[in-house]
Amino acid sequence: MKVKVKLFATLQKKGFQGGDLELSCGATVQSLLDRLNIGVADVGILVVNARDATFDQILKEADVVTIIPPIGGG
Amino acid sequence: MPFGYNGKILHVNLTDSTWEIEEPNENWYRTYVGGSSLAAYYLLKYLKPGVDPLSDENVLVFACSVVTGAPLSGFSRYTVAAKSPLTGALGRTEAGGYFGPELKFSGFDAVVVRGRAPKPVYLYIKDGQVEIRDAAALWGQDNWVTLEKIIEETGEKRVRVASIGPAGEGMVPYACVQNDLEHFNGRTGMGAVMGSKNLKAIAARGLQKPQMADPEKIKEIRNWHNDRIKVHPPNMGLSKFGTTVLVKALNDTGILTTHNFKEGVFPGADKLSHEAYHNTIFDSASTCYACSVRCKRRVSLEDEKYPLDKRFGGPEYETLAGLGSLCDIDNLPAVARGNQLCNLLGLDTISTGAVIAFAFECFEHGILTEEDTNGYPLKWGDADAMIWLIQEIAHRRGIGEILSKGVKKAAEIIGKGAERYAFHIKGQELPLHDGRGKTGMGMGFALSPTGAEHVETPHDVAFQGEGVSKLHSVGIFDPVKPMETNAEKVRFFVNGQKVWQINNCYGICNFCSVPIHAMTFQMLVESIRAITGWDTSLHDMMKVSERGTVMARVFNNREGLTPKDDRVIRRWHEPMPNGPIKGAFIDPVEFQNAINLYYEMSGWDKAGKPTRGKLLELNLEALIDEG
Repeated sequence: MKVKVKLFATLQKKGFQGGDLELSCGATVQSLLDRLNIGVADVGILVVNARDATFDQILKEADVVTIIPPIGGG
Repeated sequence: MPFGYNGKILHVNLTDSTWEIEEPNENWYRTYVGGSSLAAYYLLKYLKPGVDPLSDENVLVFACSVVTGAPLSGFSRYTVAAKSPLTGALGRTEAGGYFGPELKFSGFDAVVVRGRAPKPVYLYIKDGQVEIRDAAALWGQDNWVTLEKIIEETGEKRVRVASIGPAGEGMVPYACVQNDLEHFNGRTGMGAVMGSKNLKAIAARGLQKPQMADPEKIKEIRNWHNDRIKVHPPNMGLSKFGTTVLVKALNDTGILTTHNFKEGVFPGADKLSHEAYHNTIFDSASTCYACSVRCKRRVSLEDEKYPLDKRFGGPEYETLAGLGSLCDIDNLPAVARGNQLCNLLGLDTISTGAVIAFAFECFEHGILTEEDTNGYPLKWGDADAMIWLIQEIAHRRGIGEILSKGVKKAAEIIGKGAERYAFHIKGQELPLHDGRGKTGMGMGFALSPTGAEHVETPHDVAFQGEGVSKLHSVGIFDPVKPMETNAEKVRFFVNGQKVWQINNCYGICNFCSVPIHAMTFQMLVESIRAITGWDTSLHDMMKVSERGTVMARVFNNREGLTPKDDRVIRRWHEPMPNGPIKGAFIDPVEFQNAINLYYEMSGWDKAGKPTRGKLLELNLEALIDEG
């Protein structure tokens, strides 16, 4: 299945700028992050189809995954 | 009967050692709610414009909210407010920990302190009883000794103490208030106001937990919230690393404040990173009342030069950058040691870091010399100079006497062009964020009534692309573009500010709450309804928030602040010299247009004064002729 991945700021530097990705059926957000070498410390905002998502969420065809690093306040 | 709160405000007059209790009605509580807005009510009511912030005429408020102490993650925060000795404007600063809930359980929703004690005292509040106690044995002691002695004197192992250290006693205008050694009302010099009143501490102990309107619903929300915290990515990162991840994340993005706000990339960032932190000095995670996020860090290190004790917590992002990258210092144990000294002596680590970076840059340009520093060269990156200066500042010794005034006044005293390197907004030193990479946050720095402040509005970067979905509930649908300063950005800012000021008025932690973390807008409203029994709504809560912002603005207007004070620093108008956003700057004309548009959207006139109609809309008719 194909999902669209949107990466922001420094996450684009990890070898993949964002765009369509082919994943096996039943893939989770975590498996996508593993493939992109993105760890928990790199994730500030995680949204799938404009809704809050979790790492164990199972992705489906045409999902849009948005990942933004934690570059806010603290 | 009230649910969630006591219905009692404690008023203490230190001049004549008297106290009385006020019992406002429900409409009053629904109007002002708590925290920053409740505090602003009393400052506007009792403070005459123009008074010296360090005189007995200043008014000091410790304010919980109607929901502080509810057993939900993040409902632990309280505000300390007064006229600021650092800015001459509204002083206000929030902290978590356990003091706020304990103050609430001791029988009062807020404490309003007026006058000045003839000799050092501390306030002891237990189960509705109030004592003004002699603090002669505590005066001159650091916060650790103060806490230990108050526990011993009261015989209450679980007493919670908000205290000041020697810096507060010496009225350093960026002295902080701290509770239980690891939680801080850091900003705007509220520790100095306590010192000016000879008030060493407020100690609270109580078992009077206010009854909740719907305890079963609260239990249900608590379980839902805590379960969500475990799987909600922003909270998972905080639980695992606290805010320390920001060092690397901001550096990689090119906005890690470095070299006195000049640069956005620090070559030593890896040495201050969350990885270095958790591989070397990290001891354990810590938390605030009833909170399952556990974002607080404790550090320990057996080291002759930089020993670290976990009782004093550990540096968070702001301190890692303030005492670290801002001063070009990459020595993590030294930064953590600097943090511990600030905590013991009672200094705000943000302002302290900015003051030290200012001193380093003045020394680089020959504005300060070894003649001024008793022979000690102040060199960029020198960790020992940083440690030395913290102690000199806290005790107001030597060059520390000048630097203890804050960068604005220190530059005026030093002269020789020092003001060129003194970065502040409304007199307050900047938190460790660079507006060239997030202009909405830059607007927050400019418009915060307390001077430069990073918690005025959520930072732009989180709402890029579909991230904006987190603001759909408040009507923001266009993705936020961090580097732009246009009408869309102002619309984001106006609404984002109202959201985050909800958290400041209701005393809720941004790291648990809307719009980024595990609490949702819907469940936040449900929480307030279940605690108070009020038929409230997000609309009602955003009005409370806006009321707080408008009251703060009126306070500052009548103190003589003008739109000229709503600005950012020179360096943000200059191109970023290096890194991923090299060349980026904030266009001064665009930025000024954005500030003017903010006034318009807010119902303020061109002079930045809320209009009569706006004041009437917000039930603030008493302020119509005030400013």
